[in-house]
Amino acid sequence: MEIIGKVSKGSKMDQIYIPKNRGGFPIGDYVIITALSKELEAQDKKKPYFYNVKFIEPLKLRIIEEIFRILDKNVKNYENIIITGSFLEKGFYFNDIDILFISDEKSKIEKFEQMIENQTGIKPHIILVNNKSLIQGLSTDPLYQSMLSRCVSKKRLIYKVNSKINYKLLDLQLLKSKIIFENFDILSGSEKYYYLQNMIAILLFLKSQKITKDEINKNIEQLFGLSVDKIKFNLLDKKVFLKKYREIYNKIFNKIIRNIKNATK
Amino acid sequence: MPQNRDKLIKLFIGNISNTIIHEILEKAIDIEEIRSKDHKEIKTSLDIAKYYRDKINPIDNPLPDKNISEIKKRIINNIKNELRLRISKGYKNININIIEETVDKFLKELKIIG
Repeated sequence: MEIIGKVSKGSKMDQIYIPKNRGGFPIGDYVIITALSKELEAQDKKKPYFYNVKFIEPLKLRIIEEIFRILDKNVKNYENIIITGSFLEKGFYFNDIDILFISDEKSKIEKFEQMIENQTGIKPHIILVNNKSLIQGLSTDPLYQSMLSRCVSKKRLIYKVNSKINYKLLDLQLLKSKIIFENFDILSGSEKYYYLQNMIAILLFLKSQKITKDEINKNIEQLFGLSVDKIKFNLLDKKVFLKKYREIYNKIFNKIIRNIKNATK
Repeated sequence: MPQNRDKLIKLFIGNISNTIIHEILEKAIDIEEIRSKDHKEIKTSLDIAKYYRDKINPIDNPLPDKNISEIKKRIINNIKNELRLRISKGYKNININIIEETVDKFLKELKIIG
């Protein structure tokens, strides 16, 4: 592993800062410092950008770098590659890797998914979206806001988001979360968490509150009186959970429907 | 076990209804970008419906006529209830005329009808 750093001036000693999220060089390791050629300097620009990711396992970082390498090698023109979702949660409880691939060109997503799966052994879920749709999604879709609140991207993210409520779209988004009522017994803990997270993101969006993973989790814990881990590990009391879930779902649904009426007047 | 089969049919009906409601509501939204968005959530209800379908005998052939008419009737009722609720609250552009053809399309796809 190689990391490029810049020597900076200190008060007693000079230093080289290296990122906390890195694929190697644990604390206590001895390393060799050597001068860098201009060619290698360009590699510095290839460092991923982290957004609200305080910790990431070195192995995951290597997987992310491999995904960036595969897509970068195979697609000439693209805007950005963003890794998001449960893959960035601490530990190895994810089912797949959610990848937002920002490009105006239509690409063979299935082919890339296969290549990534072959190289990493993990199933990717690539969402191909163009820049315009991403910006629109960020302003109208709580789940997009939630996805981008915690992510790792190939290039720097520069998006100014002005939330715009589209009640018909929110109705459609909320419908997803209805699946829990009839399928409680067959859904896994992480699937239940996904639908719950979707519902709470809509609730926060309607209240014009910030939608981040931490905020969603905090609200889930407050509203349900349960830890998020308990939900993910499927350790739920069906009757108690569904009663609360239905109460919140109906409250949100009624608010949306009331406003669809007002919006279409 | 007939009791188990009834439960599977009930769960199938719930999920396929949700898939079709989603599809019809999507058509009622007139923003192009929203229509072309990722359909992961529709796939999810459809995948769950498929999961139940694969457990209902006969798996590879259409279901008996008696089952088909009952399933179709219950799906259409579910969809109509959900959509009428929205229409009654002032939701515009919902095309209820496409319910039956959409139901047929999905039931054919899932080999419920021949």
